[in-house]
Amino acid sequence: MDILHHIFYGLGVAVQPLNLLFCFIGVFIGTLVGVLPGLGPVAAISLLLPATFHASPVASIIMLSGIYYGAMYGGSTTSILVNIPGEAASVVTCFDGYQMARQGRAGPALGIAAFGSFIAGTFGVVGLAFMAPPLAAMALKFGPPEYFSLMVLGLTVLTFLAGGSMLKSLMMACFGVVVGNVGLDLITAQPRFTFGWDILLDGVGLIPVVMGLFGISEVLLNVEEKLSEREIFKTKLKGLLPNLQDWKDSIWPIIRGSVLGFLLGILPGGGAVISSFVSYGVEKRLSKHPEEFGKGAIAGVAGPESANNSATAGAFIPLLTLGLPSNAVMAILLGALMIYNMPPGPKLITSHPDLFWGVISSMYIGNIMLLVLNLPLIGVWVKILKVPYPVLFPLILLFCLIGAYSLNNNPAEIGLMLIFGILGYLMKKFKYDGAPLVLAMVLGPLMDNSLRQSLLMSGGSGTIFFTRPICLIIFGMVAIILLLPVLPRISRIRKTVGESD
Amino acid sequence: MRNTDQSSSLFWLAIGIGIVLCSLKYGIGTFHEPGPGFITFFAGAILILLSLGLFFSCFRDQEGRSSLKSLWAGLETGKVLYVILLLLAYTFLLKPVGFLISTFLLLSLLFRVKGPYRLKTIFLMSILVTAGSYIIFEIWLKAQLPKGILGW
Repeated sequence: MDILHHIFYGLGVAVQPLNLLFCFIGVFIGTLVGVLPGLGPVAAISLLLPATFHASPVASIIMLSGIYYGAMYGGSTTSILVNIPGEAASVVTCFDGYQMARQGRAGPALGIAAFGSFIAGTFGVVGLAFMAPPLAAMALKFGPPEYFSLMVLGLTVLTFLAGGSMLKSLMMACFGVVVGNVGLDLITAQPRFTFGWDILLDGVGLIPVVMGLFGISEVLLNVEEKLSEREIFKTKLKGLLPNLQDWKDSIWPIIRGSVLGFLLGILPGGGAVISSFVSYGVEKRLSKHPEEFGKGAIAGVAGPESANNSATAGAFIPLLTLGLPSNAVMAILLGALMIYNMPPGPKLITSHPDLFWGVISSMYIGNIMLLVLNLPLIGVWVKILKVPYPVLFPLILLFCLIGAYSLNNNPAEIGLMLIFGILGYLMKKFKYDGAPLVLAMVLGPLMDNSLRQSLLMSGGSGTIFFTRPICLIIFGMVAIILLLPVLPRISRIRKTVGESD
Repeated sequence: MRNTDQSSSLFWLAIGIGIVLCSLKYGIGTFHEPGPGFITFFAGAILILLSLGLFFSCFRDQEGRSSLKSLWAGLETGKVLYVILLLLAYTFLLKPVGFLISTFLLLSLLFRVKGPYRLKTIFLMSILVTAGSYIIFEIWLKAQLPKGILGW
């Protein structure tokens, strides 16, 4: 009953007028960036982060979280109506959602995507409320060696799940660790990798890196493409409410997608993307009519859309209980919490209950707002899709420029963002994933710290990582994951996900 | 150069070597007392090994790997360079010239990159977006954008 008491306390925080307003702004912007291809939640959150420095930390995190799960809702709209996924987690929705739209069933496809997302989002929030406190209590017993091994596990799982070449993802993780350690050494105060550039003394800012890697690079890639007309579905949308048969076909995929998504979301490495693919595969395998998948099966929309939404709630668990981000968005939220002087970790629940329970409860309220925003306003989102790219991309660039500059009122931050923008553009060209770089960059200083503390504890012996039971289990898991790609079947699945991503 | 993976692996190999050399300069210390370059040394060393692994894996598996030229074939690469140059110029001009003028100029040039718009339309859009962003960021969010030669 303690949990219920906490949830009601959180609801009290979430319904405060300012928090409600920020929640609404968050889910609104989230839906907007989900709808607009070329601008994902990672770039949007990093763009808006500097603007939240003057607001209360609780309201800010409520808004930034709203952008994340709101984007999952919005992403389905473009997948169904235009066959262009607004963000990676909605790629699968294109397969059957667009086919349904072509058959004149765009309404039920959008409807079931929104209802499925709502049910799954709710499930995810309840799961988060129940699972986070016991996990946090357990994490209090962790020492530096356990934290170090957990971070190694996180990075390994991420490189495994990121899709594409695992070798390249590991390379990016190594580079990310170095980028994260640029600046003054915490113990000796010696500058590292600053090359006489003053702004690097405090380290490389997460926001210029993320905006460069995910915002600027995406624009550069789109600029070099020859413009093609987007085919927007012209028939009038009617009957958004799915009929009884639609519900019968969708209810189990929604339930399965919710559970799968939540569990996969906890794992590091783009849980929302992976979970939508896994859910689609499971539904196709369990279906009595697998031949209908890819031709407009409603289960192919309901399952993945539910999975990607509950995964967003699951992703908050490692961040809020262990202080370890599981994907790029969580890495930015970790950075934000550090800036607000609320370092996430097992003590966050007790030291800042208003933030923890307020954010969880606001996610529930946000899900209701999204249902209201998405169903009646679909016409508005479709109109936004018609904003031509030649007008859109200068606006995205301008927001990135202002966002980077206003961090420290220093044009050098723009320069840093541009460097990572060009690097991100080349990385995409050469098929290197940016997510392991960002995550490793955030974890880099924490890893450095915990590794050095562990070695000091053990008197310089690396065996400390193999004599403590939790570390041993975790490193065993790391070894298994590193060996998994050798199996041909696993390798094939990773390749498929990587290509779709 | 044979393919994209070989070229990129050489790039990361060079970066890895640079990281290792710098880390040695900062001091990697010992296992008893790790120095400031300890973790970056190992990250750089692993990066070197992985780059070499990628480089040599290209000889084993030639199929499906694209050539460097094919990455930019049929694309408007000149526009990418143009946009990068504009953004660089903006970075240098923002402080001395000020937000309003430099942003208006940047937008006027950016709207022309992909759009078949008339000069009058571009002029109008640039003014509206510059004014709108000034109101949002400078007046509402108090972002303290650079004033430059206009003084406001």
